[in-house]
Amino acid sequence: MRKLSRRRVIGDSLGLAAAGIVARPFLAKAAAKTASVWWTQGFVPEEDAAFRAMVADYEKQSGNTIDYSLIPFAPLMQKVISSLTSGDVPDVISHDIQDQQVVPQNAWNDRLLDLSDIVEPLKSQLHSTAYLGSRFYNNVTKQRAAYQAPYKTQVLPFHVWGSLVEKAGLKLADAPKTWDAFWDYFKPAQEKLRGQGMRGVYSLGLQPTTNGPADGNQMFTYFLAAHHGMGIVTPDGRPHLDEPAVKAAVIKAITYITTAYKQGYVPPGALDWSDADDNNAFHAKQIVMDLDGTISTELAMIHDPEKYNDAVTLGLPNDNSGKPIPSPLGVSGAFIPKGAKSVEVAKEFITYVVQPQVAGAYLKAGLGRWLPAIPDIVKNDPWWTDPKDPHRLSYVTQGVLGDTVPYHYAFNPGWAEANAAQIWGSAHANVIRENMTPQAAAEAALKRISDILAKYPIAQT
Amino acid sequence: MSSTTFFTAARRTFPGSSLGELRRRVWQRGPSSEFTWAVAFVVPYIAVFAAFVAYPVVYGLWMGHKPSLYTELFSDPIYVNTVVNTVIYLGIGVNLKMFGALLLSGFFMRRSWWTKGLLLIYVLPWAVPALPTFLSIHWMLNGQWGLINNTLWDLFHIDGPGWLETSRWLALGSVIASHIWKWMPFWTVILLAGRMAIPQEVYDAAAIDGATGFQRFFYVTLPLLGSLYLICTLLSTVFTLGDFNSVYFVSGGGPALSTHVLATLGIRDAFQIARPDLGVATVMSALPLMIPLIILLMRKLRTTDIQL
Repeated sequence: MRKLSRRRVIGDSLGLAAAGIVARPFLAKAAAKTASVWWTQGFVPEEDAAFRAMVADYEKQSGNTIDYSLIPFAPLMQKVISSLTSGDVPDVISHDIQDQQVVPQNAWNDRLLDLSDIVEPLKSQLHSTAYLGSRFYNNVTKQRAAYQAPYKTQVLPFHVWGSLVEKAGLKLADAPKTWDAFWDYFKPAQEKLRGQGMRGVYSLGLQPTTNGPADGNQMFTYFLAAHHGMGIVTPDGRPHLDEPAVKAAVIKAITYITTAYKQGYVPPGALDWSDADDNNAFHAKQIVMDLDGTISTELAMIHDPEKYNDAVTLGLPNDNSGKPIPSPLGVSGAFIPKGAKSVEVAKEFITYVVQPQVAGAYLKAGLGRWLPAIPDIVKNDPWWTDPKDPHRLSYVTQGVLGDTVPYHYAFNPGWAEANAAQIWGSAHANVIRENMTPQAAAEAALKRISDILAKYPIAQT
Repeated sequence: MSSTTFFTAARRTFPGSSLGELRRRVWQRGPSSEFTWAVAFVVPYIAVFAAFVAYPVVYGLWMGHKPSLYTELFSDPIYVNTVVNTVIYLGIGVNLKMFGALLLSGFFMRRSWWTKGLLLIYVLPWAVPALPTFLSIHWMLNGQWGLINNTLWDLFHIDGPGWLETSRWLALGSVIASHIWKWMPFWTVILLAGRMAIPQEVYDAAAIDGATGFQRFFYVTLPLLGSLYLICTLLSTVFTLGDFNSVYFVSGGGPALSTHVLATLGIRDAFQIARPDLGVATVMSALPLMIPLIILLMRKLRTTDIQL
C-alpha cells in the first residue's frame, strides 16, 4: 500500500484540481465548427434582432454554430480587456469603441490576428477612411495591417430640439454656417426658455467630461478638426504636438468649451458625463442641442413620433473661415484575438458579416444607427437617403457622402491610451476648477500626451 | 474537532509516540479508502483556494511587479490626489462612523419599546442592498433635478449647490456621509452587542460608589469596550480601504476625477484606460498601509481577551 503522507495528499489533490483546468481547452477544441462571439448589445432592440437574424442566416448557410453573447457596452469592454489580458479569449469580438480603446494597443502588442486576407479583397469597395481606420501598427512585426474587419462607421452630428429653438424665438434656418458662430447662436435660447419656466435648461450639450469613455474625446477631436488641428498626429504615427497650428487649435478648442461652461451655458454635471448622460440630458430637455456620435439620440425616441420628429439632426457647419470641416470617422468591426480556438470559423463568420449585402441588411435592420463602411450600400439602397426620415439623410450625408478623416488612434496607439486617460477632459477641468489658463492647460495636456506617445515609437519605412 | 483534541485522541490510540511519530502514524494508518476520503475532502477546498485565492493573488502580484508601473503611477497627478482622498476617506469616514456607532449603541441600550422600533428602522440602510441605495443618493444629490435641490427650490426658491458636480470637498463629503449612513448601523449593532455583554452588576457597583453617567461611561464602558472598539475600527479600516461601491456609485470619482480612492482608481486604470497592470499596481500601492493594519489586527486578536 502506498504511504499516505500529508505532502502526498496535498500533491495529489492539487494534481486533480489542475487536471480539470488543463482538460478544459481540449474539450473546447473538440467542437471545432463552433465559434464563440462577443458582440455589443444594441442601443435599440432592433439592432439585437438584426444581429440574431444575421447569425441565423450564417448558421443556415454554413452549417457552423455561432455561440454568441450580446453584452452591454460597458461590461463588454471590461470582459474584452480581461480576456485579452488573461489570454482566455473568444473567437470573435465586436465592440462599438474597439477602434479607440482595444484594437490599437493590442495590435501594437501583437495580440490580434492580422485580418488583411479579409479586408484587402474589400479594399476597393470600402470607404477609404474606414480602410485607413482599420489598419493599426504592430510593434512586433513593425508593420501596419488590418486588425479589424470594418463593417460599420459613425460620425458626430448635431442634435437639436426644434421645438425648444422655436420656443426661444430662434429659427434653425437662421443658424450661422460657421463653427463658433453656430454654437454661439444657441446661447441666448437658455435665458429665453428659463424665462418661460424651464428652470433647468441649458443651451449647449458640450462635454468637457473626464468620464467618457468616448464622447468627450470625440467631441474635442471635432473641435480640433474645426480649428485645423488634425495634424496633431500624422498618418505615419508621428506626433506634432509642438507645431504652432496644432497648439493654437488645442488652445482654441479648450478656450471655447471651458468659456461656454464657465458662462453657464453647459449643465454643471457635464464635467462628469458618461457617454449616455448627454443623451439623457437631451431626452430630458435639459439641453437645447449637442454634438454626439451616431443618431442613437433620435432613434431612442423612434416609437414616440412626436419627439422623433421634433428632434433635428444637422451636419457640421463650416470652419470659422468658411471651409468645410471633415468629420472624424469612427470605424468599428470585428476582430480575432490571438489564442482564439476556432480561427477558421471565426474568419468565415467575419467574412460573411462584412459582405455588402449582409452588413447592409444588418445595419439597416438596426435602423441606421451605424453607417456602412462600404459606401455602395448607401448608394444602392434608397432607404439610406430617404428624406422621409428626418434624421438619416443628414447623418448619411455627413458620414458616408461627405469628407471624413480617421481618428488619430489609428495612426498611433498611444493616442488611444491618451484618450482613455481623458486628457482633454482633465484639461477642461484644470481651466474650470483650478482656474488654469487655457494655454497652461493645453501645455499640460500636450506634455502628458507627449509622455504617453513616447512609449509608442512607430518605425518609419 | 480542534487539532489539540484530535492529537489527544490519537495519543490514546498510539501511546508513547512523539508528536512527529504521531503525525506520521495518523497519516499512514488505515486502508486506502482513508486516503481516498482524505483526498476527496481536501480537493474541493484546495481547488477553490487555488482558483479563487492563491491564483488571483499570485497573478495580481505578477501583473503589478514592474517598478516602472509605480514610477508611472506616482507621476500621475490623479494618483496623488487619490492617495490623499483615501487617507481622508479612511481617517474621517471610519472614525466618525465608529464614534457615532459607539454613542448610538449607548442610546439603543435603552429598554423602551420605541427604541427597539427605532433600532429596526436605523439598521435598514445596512440591511438593504448597497447598489440601489448609493444610486439613489447619487440621484438625490444631482444638482439640476435631484430631490434635495428640487426641495430647496420648492421650499425656499434657492438653487442648491452642485453636490457632486463642481466641488471636490462637497463630493467627497457626500461620499463619506453616504458611507457612514450605510455602515454605521452595522457597527452600532456590533458595539451594542458588546455593551450588552458588560455585566449590569459593574454599573450597579459604580452607581453605588456615586459614579455619574459620564463617569460610568469613561470608567466602566470605555475600558471594557475598548478592545472591541479598537478591533472593530481596524476591521472597518481594512474593509473601507477596499470599499468600491460608496465612491463609485455616489460620486463616480468625480467631479473631474477628484474624489477617486485607490479602489475606484484601480478599476478606472484597469478598464477605462485599458491598463490592467496599472490598475493592479494602483491597488497594490495600498499594501504598505494594508499589511501593517492586518498585522496589527492579528496581533490584537491574538493578545486581547475579547471576553467582556
